[in-house]
Parts: sequence; C-alpha cells; structure tokens
Amino acid sequence: MASIAMNKPGATVLLMGNEAVARGAIEAGIGVAAAYPGSPSSEVLTTIAGVAKQMKIHAEWSVNEKVAMEVAGGASFAGIRSFCAMKQNGANVAADFLVNANMTGVGDAGMVVFISDDPGGMTSNNEEDSRTITKWLDNPLLEPSSAQEAKEMIKWAYEVSEAVNLVTFVRGVTRISYTKSNVMLGELPEKKEKKAFFPDLWDMYNPKKSKFTSGPFPIFHKPLHEKLEKAREIFERSTFNQYMGPEHPELLIITCGACTSYCTEAVDELKAGERVGILKLGTTWPLPEKLVAKHLSTTKTVLFVEEIDPFVERNVMELAASLLPATCDLTFYGKRSGHLAPYNEQSTNLVIDALVDILGTTYQARDLTYDEEAKKAIQIVPDRPINMCAGCPHRATFWAVKKALQLDGRKGFVCGDIGCYAMGFTAPGFFQSRTMHAMGSGAGVANGLGNLRQFGFDQPVIAMTGDSTFYHAVLPALVNGVYNNSSFILLILDNSATAMTGFQPHPGTGLLATGDPAKVVDMEAVCRAMGADVRVCDPFDLEDTTKALLSMIKKDGGTRVIIMRHMCQLVKARRKITNKYRMHVDKERCLGDTCGCDNLCTRILGCPGLMVDREISKAAIDEALCVGCGLCADICPSSAIIREEAI
Amino acid sequence: MSRRRLRKEPFNLIISGVGGQGNVLLSAFVGAALLNEGFMVSVADTFGVSQRGGSVTSHIKISKKTLYSSVTLDGKADVILGMEPVETLRALGEFGNPHVVVIVNPRPIYPSGGATYPDLDKVKRAITKLSSKTKFVNATEEALKMGNPIYTNIILLGSLVGANVLPITKETMMPILKERFPGKLLEENIKAFGKGMELIAKA
Amino acid sequence: MSNYRKGARELFEEVIDQGLCTGCGACVTACPYIVAYEGRIVVLDKCTIADGHCYQHCPRTHTDMNAVSEKIFGVPYDDGEVGHALDIHMVKSKDAEIKEKGQDGGTVTTLLALALEEEMIDVAVCTKMDEEKIARGYLARTRAELLECAGSSYEASFALEAYRSIPKENTEKVAIVGLGCQVEALGKIKSDPAKNRANPDNIKLTLGLFCGWALRPDIFHPYLKGLCDPSQAVKFDIPHTPHYTFDVYTKSDTKSVSLDDIRPYINLACQYCWDMTAEFSDISLGSAGSRFPGWNTVIVRTKTGSDLVKLAKAKGILETQALPGQRLAHLKTVALKRKKTAFKNITDKTGDKKDLLYVGGLSEGIADKLSEG
Ligand SMILES: Cc1cc2nc3c(=O)[nH]c(=O)nc-3n(C[C@H](O)[C@H](O)[C@H](O)COP(=O)(O)OP(=O)(O)OC[C@H]3O[C@@H](n4cnc5c(N)ncnc54)[C@H](O)[C@@H]3O)c2cc1C
Ligand code: SF4
Ligand code: SF4
Repeated sequence: MASIAMNKPGATVLLMGNEAVARGAIEAGIGVAAAYPGSPSSEVLTTIAGVAKQMKIHAEWSVNEKVAMEVAGGASFAGIRSFCAMKQNGANVAADFLVNANMTGVGDAGMVVFISDDPGGMTSNNEEDSRTITKWLDNPLLEPSSAQEAKEMIKWAYEVSEAVNLVTFVRGVTRISYTKSNVMLGELPEKKEKKAFFPDLWDMYNPKKSKFTSGPFPIFHKPLHEKLEKAREIFERSTFNQYMGPEHPELLIITCGACTSYCTEAVDELKAGERVGILKLGTTWPLPEKLVAKHLSTTKTVLFVEEIDPFVERNVMELAASLLPATCDLTFYGKRSGHLAPYNEQSTNLVIDALVDILGTTYQARDLTYDEEAKKAIQIVPDRPINMCAGCPHRATFWAVKKALQLDGRKGFVCGDIGCYAMGFTAPGFFQSRTMHAMGSGAGVANGLGNLRQFGFDQPVIAMTGDSTFYHAVLPALVNGVYNNSSFILLILDNSATAMTGFQPHPGTGLLATGDPAKVVDMEAVCRAMGADVRVCDPFDLEDTTKALLSMIKKDGGTRVIIMRHMCQLVKARRKITNKYRMHVDKERCLGDTCGCDNLCTRILGCPGLMVDREISKAAIDEALCVGCGLCADICPSSAIIREEAI
Repeated sequence: MSRRRLRKEPFNLIISGVGGQGNVLLSAFVGAALLNEGFMVSVADTFGVSQRGGSVTSHIKISKKTLYSSVTLDGKADVILGMEPVETLRALGEFGNPHVVVIVNPRPIYPSGGATYPDLDKVKRAITKLSSKTKFVNATEEALKMGNPIYTNIILLGSLVGANVLPITKETMMPILKERFPGKLLEENIKAFGKGMELIAKA
Repeated sequence: MSNYRKGARELFEEVIDQGLCTGCGACVTACPYIVAYEGRIVVLDKCTIADGHCYQHCPRTHTDMNAVSEKIFGVPYDDGEVGHALDIHMVKSKDAEIKEKGQDGGTVTTLLALALEEEMIDVAVCTKMDEEKIARGYLARTRAELLECAGSSYEASFALEAYRSIPKENTEKVAIVGLGCQVEALGKIKSDPAKNRANPDNIKLTLGLFCGWALRPDIFHPYLKGLCDPSQAVKFDIPHTPHYTFDVYTKSDTKSVSLDDIRPYINLACQYCWDMTAEFSDISLGSAGSRFPGWNTVIVRTKTGSDLVKLAKAKGILETQALPGQRLAHLKTVALKRKKTAFKNITDKTGDKKDLLYVGGLSEGIADKLSEG
C-alpha cells in the first residue's frame, strides 16, 4: 500500500491495524525495521518494506525473531530509531537477548517492539500472552485499543523508550492487527539525514558507565528498576488512559486493548451507561498505580476485561492488597471469578453475559422463535475443516510420506513443525505428524528420538520443516543431528515462500524484504556442507518421491535430508504460473463410492478440486477449484482421473 | 461525515464464504467505498490458517459517528453476503434476525475429507426461511461463463451494490476497481461487476 | 456371515498382528489402501470404514464353513478328512512340454490349458516366479503364459491380488489356482461379492493345491539368496518321505538342505491351517508321493471338475490311475492329523475349545473328535 507513506496529515484512510502500526513507526522516523513473519503480525514489516527505499529505512526479514531484535538493538545503540515486530511466540525466541538488553538499555534513539498476540489461537498453535514477558523484563508496555491508537502509541512509545532508556513494547492482538478501520494520518518525519554512530562508552574503571555490555551485577539491575518507576510516572499522566462513565459507578470495568470497544458496546447494548464506568488503560505495565487507586476508590465492584491472561486483573489486585484496608470492601470480577475465561478471544457478547450476571439485568439478542429456528436450521451445516489448497505440494509430500512409512512398516512417524504443513496431524496431512511444538522443534525432537537405538527404538523418524523454518531454527538442530549422529530424516518442504503468513521472502528465495535481489543461501549446499546425505525431489513425481523416501528410510542411521521442492500453488498463482494439466474423470472407470470402499480421491486425498457428483456417486473435478496439478491422476487406483496437457 | 443516510447505527454487513473465495478482497473494496463515502468503518477478516479452505467471515461495521469493535454481535447482522450456501446458513444461524437481507451465491463448495454436504435445496429453503429477503445470484456460474471462476467475487460485489442496501453506489465503486485492476483486467472486472448488478435486478 | 462385518483396522488387530495372515492376497487391492509389499500386507491408509471387504473376505476371519460349502457344493460342510469329494485318483499329463515344466504330474497346467482351449475360461489366475524367483499373482491368458507359471514356489504369493486387479466391468471367464487359504477366500468372495470388483460368478474353475505350509518371502528369500543365485534356480521341490529335504534345482546343480533348516522360515500362520487339501475347489491336486514320482493325487469335488478331467482323458492329454488303498488311507491320515494339529494350535491360542478362530459352523461333536489322541 503506497499510501502508507502519504504525506497528508489529517487525511483519513482505511488501514489494517498492522498497517497503522507500520505508519506509526514511519511517522516516528525509524531508520531500521526488522521482523520475522508470523501471523498476526506479518503485515507490519511487509508494509514498511514496501516504502522502505522511499523513506530511507532499512527494512529486513530477519532469519528469526532473536536476530531481528538484535538488528534493531544494534541500530538503537548507534543512535537510529529502530523497530521490531513479531507474533507472541517470537518474543520467546528473542527473550534471551531482551533479558540482557533490559540491563544495558537502549541507545540514544529509542527501540520499540510490536508484539501481536493471538487470543483464540486463530493463526497460532498456542495462546501465549506475551505481556507477562514485559513484566519479567521490567520493560514498559502499551496496549492500543484501535488501529488509530496503535499508530499514535507506536509514535509515543519512542518517546517513552528514549525517556526511560528501555526497549518499549506495544502489544496488539489479532483483532487489532487484522481489523481495517478509519485512521487519520499524522505528519511524516522531517527528511533529514540520520547519522549512525556507535558511541564508545567503555570505561574500564567504571563499568557502571559502560553501556551495551550487560553483566550479572546489581549495578545494572538497580537502575532498571529506577527506570521502571520513571516509566510509571510518565504513565500516570498518559492520555492513553481514559475513564468514561459516572463519577461513582456501581460497577467499574477496567479494560485495555481490543476489549475496550467490547466494553463500550456491551454497556451501550444494555443501556447501562448510568451504572457502569469504564477505565481503559493504554499503559498496562508498569501499572499507573495512582490513577488506578483513585478509580478503585469510587466504586465497590470491579470487572476486569482483557484478552487471554488476567494480567491487569492480577496486577490491580496486587495493588489493591497493598492499599488495604481502604480497598477491603471491593469485590472483583473477571477471569478469577469465572465471569470471563483466561483463554479464547473475548467479545462484546461475552462481556454482555458477564454484565448481565453482575448487574442482574436481562438481554435478548434476537426474537426468541427466530433464535430457535436459526439454531435448528444450522444443524445441517457441515464442519468445514481447513485444508491444503488445490495443487498444494504438501499434499503430494504427505501422500508419499504416508506410503513410504507404511511400506517400511516399522511404525515410523513425522515430527511436525510450524507452517502450512502443520496440518500434517489432521486429515489433509493424512494424520502423519505426531509431534508439533515450536519453530524448529520437529528437527529438535527428532534429534532426541534418533538417538534411542540402545533402548530398542527402531521406528523411522521424519522431521518436517518448511523452507523458512529451516533457516529460522532448524539449522542448529541439523548441525546437532549430524554431529551427534542422530538417526532421522529431515524433510525440507521447499515451496519458495513463507506461505502460511503471506509469502514473505526468506534467505533461500533470492529476494529481500524490499523486493530487491539478494544472495541465495542455498539450503542444499548448506546441508551437504554440514555432512548430511541430501536428495532433492519434486513431490509431484509421486512415484519417484515415494521410492526415494523409502530408500532413505531404509538407510537407517545418520541424519539424512530430502528437499521436497515445488512451488507453493498460491505463489504460482501470484506469479501467474499455470499448471500443465486439464483434468477430467472418466465416469465409466471411476468406482465412486465403491472405490476403496468409498471414494479414495475425495475422501482420503481430499483435494478441494475434487468433488463427488452426487447424482451418479462418482468423482468429478470441481472446475472452480481445480488448478490442474495432476496429483489425483496418480493416486486413482482405477486410472479414472485423466490429465490432458493443457496448452 | 457522510451525507448519505445509514439505516441503522451501527449497520452490520457480513460476508461469509470459504477460504480462497476472495472474501478479503471483497471486504476491502466495500470498506474502501464506505470510507470514501465518509463513514466510519471497521472491517474484520478471517486470516491465517482458516484461509486454507476453512469457513471465513468478514464483518463490516458501518457508523456515522464512531468506530465500533469489528465483530458483529450475535443476532445483529443487517446484510449477509453469502459466497457459498452452507456458509450463508452458518452465518444466519449466528447473526441472523427477522430483518436481515441475504444475497447468496448458491454454488456449493464441498468440504474436504468426506464430510457430507446437505441437500442443496434443503439449504436454500433453510436460508429463505431465516430471511424472507433472500436473493440468489448465480455468481460462480456466470463467472465460469466469463471463462474464470475468479470473477465470482466481483460479480457478487456488483450484486451487493446493486441491491441498494448499503450506502454505496456504482459510482463510489468504480475508482476503487480502477485503482486495483490494471489494464485489461479492469475491463473484465467492470464487466463482472455490471453482470452482478444485472443479476440482482432480476433476482 | 453378514453380521460379522468389520474393516481394515480389525483385519490388522485380529489377523495380521495375531500372526494369522497366510499371505493369500484376498485383501490386497480389495481396496486401494491395501497392498502386498515385501511379503507383508500393508494398509496405506487408516481406513475408518467399519464395513470392509478386506476383513470380510480374509480366510482367517470368522468363516461360516457351511455357508461357503452350500455356495460351492450345494451341501453343508463335510468336516471329514479331505472335505467334499466325488472321486480321488492319480493323474499325470501326457503333454511332454508341460510335463517337462510341471511340478509333479503337470496336471494343473494341462487342465488350465485345456480349459482355455475349450473356451471354458478366458484367463487363469496363477502364480508366477520372476527372474529372482519372487512369486506373485499373474493373469495367464495363453498356453505360453500358463507354461511360465508351471512349477511350485513354496513362498506365499499373495496370488489373489491378481484376481483383485480384474476390473469390475470385466466379464472374462476366470480360472484360479490356489492353496487352501486362497480357495477358502474365494468361497467367501463368492458368498458375499464386493460390489466394486468383478463378479465372482465369472470364476468358472477353481483348482486347489495341497499344502502343508508356505514360507514367508520376507525372511525366506534372503536365505535363498544365501543358498544360490535365485535367477539360476529352475525348480523347488520337497520330495516326500523318506526324504527330509528341500531341494533347489539350479541350472548347474541341485542344492539339498534339511527341512529343519527351512522350518524357521515357515509362515507361522500355517500352523493354524485346517485345510491340507484345498477343500473348496472344483479339483484339488497334490503330489502322489515318492513312490509315484511324476504323478498327481487328484480329488475331484464338483461336476465341473469331473467333466474337465473326463474331457482331458477323452482327449488323451491326461492319464489316470486308481489311487492304491494304502495311499488313500495315508492321505486321509495326514489330512486328519493336520486338522488335529490345527485344532490344538487354535484352541491353545483361544483358550476355548468352542472358539476355533476362523473355522465356524462345524458340527457339535467335532471338538471331541479332534481332541482324541
Ligand atoms: C506352498 C505350496 C505347498 C505345497 N505343499 C504340498 C504338500 O505338502 N503336499 C502335496 O502333495 N503337494 C503340495 N503342493 C502342491 C504341489 O507342489 C504341486 O503344486 C501340485 O502337486 C500340482 O502339481 P502340477 O505338476 O500339477 O503343477 P503345475 O502344472 O506345475 O502347476 C503349478 C501351479 O501352481 C501354482 N503355484 C506355484 N506356486 C504357487 C504358490 N506359491 N502359491 C499358489 N500357487 C502356486 C502355479 O500357478 C501353477 O499354476 C504345494 C504347493 C505349494 C505352492
Ligand atoms: S480414486 Fe479413482 S476410482 Fe476412486 S472414486 Fe476417485 S476417481 Fe473414482
Ligand atoms: S490371510 Fe489373506 S486376506 Fe487375510 S490378511 Fe492375509 S493376505 Fe489378507
């Protein structure tokens, strides 16, 4: 989106939260932005990278979040405002750097990190609340409640970061990151040359003055706590903290972030504006204690509404305990009381439910007879499990893996990883994956399994990784495997992009975040250089791939690598590359529901491009979805699916 | 602030479909048009894994005075644009009410993995029962006639605008299409859009 | 029978994991998820269908012997030594070319060749050894192809896989040569045909082979390779008592090893096999013992079988001879002993004299009869 660098202060545009965050960073005059893609945060860097050249920003997809954080750290140390974005898990990867960076503090220019959490795990396999990390880091944290506020907060976060000399965090959630809404643009920074210089502050006689080297000494830790107190004072005066409602509310809602609008809507919907006040906190760590204490004194009942963990809830209750006996009459509602859950996404309806209970009112969303009818009607609605796309090379890979493992017969299995192929433990991956944890964990866990021979373990182990994940976290695990002679096969699904999160380039693609050409880090050469036995297959050559896999599996011992190389179908579509085939089903030959007891192709292979022609109970090609990859022709035992070369 | 009238405050539009049908593009177009008409809008799409063939819903909340949260409250949809029949029914089940207007593309997309798809006529009947203001638009069929199923969503966009339920018009939409589609593509998409308007007028 | 339906999962739990799989091949490609690979049955996909022909047609899942017998012979099951029999005698081929290649009397090949010639059948499901002497099912449609199949492989061949590969719409008339487990499976297939496969009524002729046991290819074949270059082998034989050997004739010499050396490679599933004489065939054939080299013992069980043998005789391509009484008595003793051993092994496994695993529908007194001595 080119308008992201539009120099029209006051103009209103429709921005996705992630774009607003990017614009905030641009308005703040950052010089460096680094990130690793991960929904729901990926679009932030994509957006910055899109205008990086024009705005004279160095924007990069770093190989992982820790490196991204260090890249930003380096820039800040040399006096350039820097910015980092990641999803919740990324903060864990980067944490090791951060627990030291909090000791050293930032440079003269601030450093801001945007972390987007994923309540409900809509695009993640966990629901971690990253705010806790900022608490144990003793670093300041802000939580925006809208795209507009996200933009303003990012800008302000630089002021905070520079004022207290700490990395400052802004926490988003999926709904903020992915909601598009009206955003009024601010001023772009003046175009003046930024000068980077690393100040030599090393003083061998006075380590206290020596910045940028952390040490185990209390001399570094004590100032950190002083800085945090300073941040608290700044936060007490912040206009990002707001109160709406009566002077002495019957119920005080304390909320933050995306939940703010759920609360205002719920109160509106219940017409409870006279009874309920809402304290919205924009600065959630350190807690602006004086402000909160003041509001606690106006009421007897408090409800906390926030995404995932009871973070604010616990911190406020801790504060209340310290204010005893003044707070002894207070009743607290929230996750602890069971009115809201410490998991899954919050919503206006959930807040309404909590309020109805606490206030003793009633609420009816729609006509009751209609409600009954509607609930009855949707009983016929089938589940729609997620699936790999038509033409997805992973489907072919999993088919080959399944077949090879079954033929081998030693109860081999797949250690899965993070990416589209995470679907491996469900039907689209034919239930092949048996473990799934963090980025790179497939290979890591396989390392462990691959060294259990002396305990009688002879099950073949296949670790799967995507190409992007390979560079992110699998490299060390591969080195470890070769070095410790662990017996497993690493399958690298090289589909030329970080597909799951939106096709960002990675070190293997030869492209930079900005779209400029880059050096290709050749994964095949890397694996070979490490001493692994390497093969490259095209999963759509199903038979050869299966054979290669089987022979690799039988080759027991040592770390073996197979690179499954085929471009992601969605990347093909973006690049207007079409597949070779036009598919059709020979209705005479197709066995339909008597095939493999019942439709091998639609039921088991499950490509969205295949469907059942209900009238004759035979397979058919769904022309709206088939992309002509030809895979189904290879698996049909009756040779009923025909591929014709399309011109 | 917009000069156009908004029938309700906030006004809730839902676009429901299946990952891969292009609902994100649709919601972006509608959002942009509403913005240009001076409304406050929040548009929430389903992102991430569910885009891979799962059911996806875009919520668009329109207001003249403030920015609301993006997700529609249970039972509060004003318009549902259904890109796929059972997904339309799913959305109605959650967000429908006696006043909701439904525009639906009756072409099924079958769920993978052998889950049985209910009888299409039964689905259509259930939809019309839950919304007396239901219009069927054979968008996929028309798109295939145009030579590419990809036009389905733009045809539906035409129908949505042509249905006169939102405070946007063809004139608001055109510059947005122009910005998005270069050259030859624009022509085809304008044709698709027109087709959609035509279909809804007849529906 | 039909209330006993289960699927691939149970096939594994109750047959394969229990060491009961005989390697007959009935389940192979019954659906595309099941294949035979290196001597094992492999299910490629976790089929969740509760009602599978793979399970239904396996000869080692519960079999109602009476139902199968009714289907094939029109009478209830005869649980005597050699099953339902019209006539037992000795035969051998007079066709020199076949005689040269055949295992014993070359009768199997001769009868099949005649059936082809007479257009009684269009295709014969046989077992053929490849260069490496790996035995797999094969569809023979000419005399020449039949000749390629002559001679016995003592490894389980999954030969019914070839029958399963015949497409549904195919209406060719079929003959099948198989061991006891295989003809039993065919009986089950005929009693309850799969709707996705060729109509089993097209099977016009079933030739059964006597069988003491078969070897497991996955372990035996590597052993064989140690013994000789399999591509040089021309014939395998187990000459009857007093010999106690397994002989491999190669192009240059004969390797003879003690049967004791071979025993470890016997498919353990065979110890539960009840049927030495392939009772559900039109004609069953075995060797006639070491006193009559080059002859087959033949049990004619149906009119189809009897007509075919008569025709062959009339055409002068088959020579018959009465089976000496002592030889017949021996055959029955061995066959009964086989049933007793199977009965013991089965009931040891089930721990219940009434639970005979796959052998169902027998007469009340059978347990006592088989428990004796
Ligand atoms: C595993 C096995 C064990 C046997 N055990 C005995 C026994 O204990 N006592 C006895 O008297 N006879 C036994 N026989 C039968 C004997 O070896 C001859 O097959 C039989 O006498 C017929 O001889 P023929 O000359 O007529 O056969 P041929 O005319 O040579 O025809 C042989 C036929 O056998 C088929 N065949 C070859 N190998 C196999 C196999 N592995 N599985 C299924 N079919 C096969 C071929 O398709 C061919 O059509 C056994 C056979 C096999 C395969
Ligand atoms: S796999 Fe082949 S035979 Fe089976 S249903 Fe599909 S197209 Fe028909
Ligand atoms: S005995 Fe035959 S049908 Fe049964 S599992 Fe073994 S090969 Fe399959």
